[in-house]
Amino acid sequence: MLRLSLRNLLVSKLRLFLTVAAVTVGVSFVSGTFVLSDTMAKAFDELYVGLTNGTDVVVKSQPAFEADITTNGGQVRPIDEAMVDQVRAVPGVALARGSVTGFALILDKEGRPIQPGGAPTFGASIGDARLSGDFVYRQGLEPTRSDQVAIDARTADQAGFVLGDRIDVVFQSGRQTFTLVGTIGFGETDSLLGATMAGFDLTTAQRLFDKVGLVDEIDVQAQRGVGAEELRDRIAATLPDGVEALTGDQVAADGSAAVRDAMGIFTQVLLVFAGISLLVGSFVIWNTFNVLVAQRRREVALMRAVGATRGQVLRGVLLEALLVGTFSGGLGLGLGVGLAAGIRSLLKLVGVEMPTTSPAVEPRTIVAALLVGVLVTMVAAIAPAWAATRVAPMEALRDAVPARYAAGWSRSVAGGVLLTAGSAGLVACIVVGDQRWWTVLSTLVTFAGLVVAGPTLARLTAAAADHGRRGGGWRMAARNVERSARRSAATALALTIGLTVVVAVAVSAASLRESVADAVSGGNRSDLILEPAGAGLGVSPAVADLLRDRDDVADVVELRETGARVNGHDSLVSAMNADGLGRVIDLGIEEGSLDTFGPGAVLVSTQRAEDLGVGVGDSVTVTFPETGSTTMRVAATFSRGALINASYVLALPDFAANVTSELDAAILVNSAPGVDPAQGKEDITAALADYPNVTVNSPDDITEKAQSSVNQLLGIVTALLLLAVVVAVLGIVNTLVLSVVERTRELGLLRAVGGTRRQVRTVVRRESVLMSLLGAVTGVALGTVSGVALSRALVDEGFTTVAVPTVTLAIYLLVAAAVGVLAAIGPARRASRVDVLRAIASE
Amino acid sequence: MTTPGLRQRSAHTDEEQGRVRAVAASARGACKVYGAGETAVAALDDVTLDLPAGRFTAIMGPSGSGKSTLMHCLAGLDTLTSGQVLIGGTDLASLSDKERTILRRDRLGFVFQAFNLLPTLTAEENITLPVDLAGHAPEHEWFGTVVDTLNLRDRLRHRPSELSGGQQQRVAVARALITRPDVVFADEPTGALDRKAGVELLRFLRSVVDDLGQTVVMVTHDPGAAAYADRVVFLVDGGIVEELTEPTRERVLEIMGRLGD
Ligand SMILES: Nc1ncnc2c1ncn2[C@@H]1O[C@H](COP(=O)(O)OP(=O)(O)O)[C@@H](O)[C@H]1O
Ligand SMILES: [Mg+2]
Repeated sequence: MLRLSLRNLLVSKLRLFLTVAAVTVGVSFVSGTFVLSDTMAKAFDELYVGLTNGTDVVVKSQPAFEADITTNGGQVRPIDEAMVDQVRAVPGVALARGSVTGFALILDKEGRPIQPGGAPTFGASIGDARLSGDFVYRQGLEPTRSDQVAIDARTADQAGFVLGDRIDVVFQSGRQTFTLVGTIGFGETDSLLGATMAGFDLTTAQRLFDKVGLVDEIDVQAQRGVGAEELRDRIAATLPDGVEALTGDQVAADGSAAVRDAMGIFTQVLLVFAGISLLVGSFVIWNTFNVLVAQRRREVALMRAVGATRGQVLRGVLLEALLVGTFSGGLGLGLGVGLAAGIRSLLKLVGVEMPTTSPAVEPRTIVAALLVGVLVTMVAAIAPAWAATRVAPMEALRDAVPARYAAGWSRSVAGGVLLTAGSAGLVACIVVGDQRWWTVLSTLVTFAGLVVAGPTLARLTAAAADHGRRGGGWRMAARNVERSARRSAATALALTIGLTVVVAVAVSAASLRESVADAVSGGNRSDLILEPAGAGLGVSPAVADLLRDRDDVADVVELRETGARVNGHDSLVSAMNADGLGRVIDLGIEEGSLDTFGPGAVLVSTQRAEDLGVGVGDSVTVTFPETGSTTMRVAATFSRGALINASYVLALPDFAANVTSELDAAILVNSAPGVDPAQGKEDITAALADYPNVTVNSPDDITEKAQSSVNQLLGIVTALLLLAVVVAVLGIVNTLVLSVVERTRELGLLRAVGGTRRQVRTVVRRESVLMSLLGAVTGVALGTVSGVALSRALVDEGFTTVAVPTVTLAIYLLVAAAVGVLAAIGPARRASRVDVLRAIASE
Repeated sequence: MTTPGLRQRSAHTDEEQGRVRAVAASARGACKVYGAGETAVAALDDVTLDLPAGRFTAIMGPSGSGKSTLMHCLAGLDTLTSGQVLIGGTDLASLSDKERTILRRDRLGFVFQAFNLLPTLTAEENITLPVDLAGHAPEHEWFGTVVDTLNLRDRLRHRPSELSGGQQQRVAVARALITRPDVVFADEPTGALDRKAGVELLRFLRSVVDDLGQTVVMVTHDPGAAAYADRVVFLVDGGIVEELTEPTRERVLEIMGRLGD
């Protein structure tokens, strides 16, 4: 008996591990997300405070509104340099220094642009160290001459530059060579979040950034005894309209607030993935507790017989859930902290260096982790706990062989109704299109149908497998699935959730890839499209000028972009030159005409026109962050903006008058008649040798690029979702282990009458495969239909076509079957090692 | 019910062996020791025993005398510490686990005291399980003969939970016979049955030997049950102490009394 209970304890240890793991994955995801974003926010706060250290007041143009920093680089209108002297004259000012920033792309020794993924490449004037906070020279000293540069220590390190090296830098206006005289660090880190920085003396920087006689901001240090706020007010009183004075603390706070906002979205996205793994985990828990209660029916019945109340039984099971939940929450919290550290190292590996600081474990994170762990476990355990209270004391006297599940008719019917309603809803969404909320709702209803009809589906699966050669293990596997249909269904459904989302994402991605190809083939009329390489900011305007001078080029149309507000709605606003526009792109003009497009006019997408309630001839107010509002006339509406991702198109002169940056987001080019496309591409590429950050693309290249970025996103999202699938697989392992333990005697008997170990393993494995396939087939089916409906719903976001990646889906099915085999390895081995004599010995 | 072919087969072996029946299974100097050192228990102590083919042998003895151990070792479910078990001339010790499993499947049959059947399979599927495991189709005629002998014809589609205890044990006997095994081992097959069902099962076992020519070895501690056998072997403390042929209930009781059970 002692041996038996020891064995049970070991079994339940494994079960405990699997159960805890199911919740822990989700919890660590949640807490990891929080720790990561809190740590990053804290680090940014420290960084900004460090950088503005020593600066008491900052004077700069007041933006019309705070545009998303990623759309305009935070650029404000430069102010007259004369204002520096004016500020310096204010009583209480100890130091005042003007500074400028701008686009500066450092080239490595081979002439390739150094562009860490997504981080900005900028240049700045650097001057008085007293105003520069934590800004330090790691090596050398500050640049003082027009041919000297200092760069961030990380870039210097990575490119292998040492002091005295000649370094090429590409600016908006072109390329220049400098001598490296210093390397810069920022407090403890060697770069600003992985951005590359090139520093120059002020005069040189003004010339390089086209800001001669101008400064972007004035940094001020107060005299001893003068408070920052007081000085700010004094300076503000002397400033003209449109220029503002802020304390250094305000600037730091604004800076970190912007980063926090950006990080908020990132956090939300991660939490959605965490939510999906938690949902899957809750199914595993639900299942585990169901099995637990089923296996303990006799024990519970005995307790009831000797006088335990229903409440006591309920509390007993829930207490167990509470313990599992608390433990999982605590473990998940610990793992989450580790996970956050891991992600930081990962980011560092891909070139995004986070400012270092100790991990921030806020009380909110601890509470969230424990609460999520406990709540998910408790909620999942409620139904099984309730079922335990229904155990009649009489059952203590009956045989403990698990009862065969009898499908309730009402349950099957209810499931069938939900399934039908949900699928009908999805089909309706596909037919009607543009119904995102109905799509989500229908998917949920269909899934609810799967949950309710699950046991029936499991029985059908078993029935389908229950034929063929008598000797095959499929019969026994099928019968086991059928016997515990409810459990098998719950196990499979955990996989269904994960796969539904994975497949819906895959289908949407395939649709997007097709749509991108369509946008290019349907909307593009140009021969070549020039774009900044990698995640670069833009193409120097000198490139467009250079192209215009060439004989083999017929049309050159620049495309620029900025964040702005149109009738009060934040949006990306594009600009193109009117001349040649119709020859390089087909915007799909619906109303009005391109003939009336030019300065003072705007083209509006039909969707936005509808949203704003404007038509051709009406006026719209465009507010630029730097300059404020202007009124423009709607010249035409268009339906094919997907190629250039445009909702509003202005004429280039209007754009230039309101936006300081002259970088082109793209240049669309038509070759002169008779020029061979391949030759044209080659010639232009060669002509742009001085602009290594520009790529020359054929329309096919553009399609390929866009598709590969879709694929990349798909890869990341799928990887995050795989965690949910892993949890589902743990669930399969859990169910198998539980049923192997439950069937020790049966397995022993099978061995006694001549079943080989291999045959026993086969039975368990096939049981696993049946459950996996049930989950995979339902998941792939639901995911495909939902994905199609979702693609149809996102027509406004550029999903113009629908595509189903059949090969990928087939692979998912095969992988699911393989996963079933893998999940069964451990349990099958355990089953095949059953001690025959012990199993058949009557107690 | 008789099957002429089978009668011929046993008659044939009788002639061949010259009045000495063929031996279906035998133990030679079988020893089984559980544990080691101070706490070692010799469950079997130098047992030598021949089980003639086509006969019904009962093994009797007080509780703890080694009956189950002997049977498990004879049936290849357990291994001896020393000595030999021969099934139709094959030394079990020379076989790997897998070979022993296959030998059990193809040449031996078992009936345990309880829990003989897989609950998910019907009676028919349980009966044909060893053949199915071997990947063969059951011999149709033999299957019919076995099912009719055990009177299971109208229970084939039922699951174990839908059968009485006696019917379940009969299904187990049928399952044990389906491969025409060298020996059928039954460990207290009537132990969990009421008297009436027990008697019925013993009659069926008797007819399995008489009508189908099979070899049956049964462990029991019920003298009434032992009286159905052709021969009774008495075990005490792991050793054979007596043998009785043509047993009656009274003679068995008398010997048991003498052995002090
Ligand atoms: N697995 C085992 N471990 C240790 N001792 C055992 C084991 N199985 C049986 N025995 C011992 O071997 C002896 C014979 O047991 P068994 O063959 O079951 O007797 P029977 O079936 O005649 O009652 C007993 O003393 C018993 O305690
Ligand atoms: Mg025994």
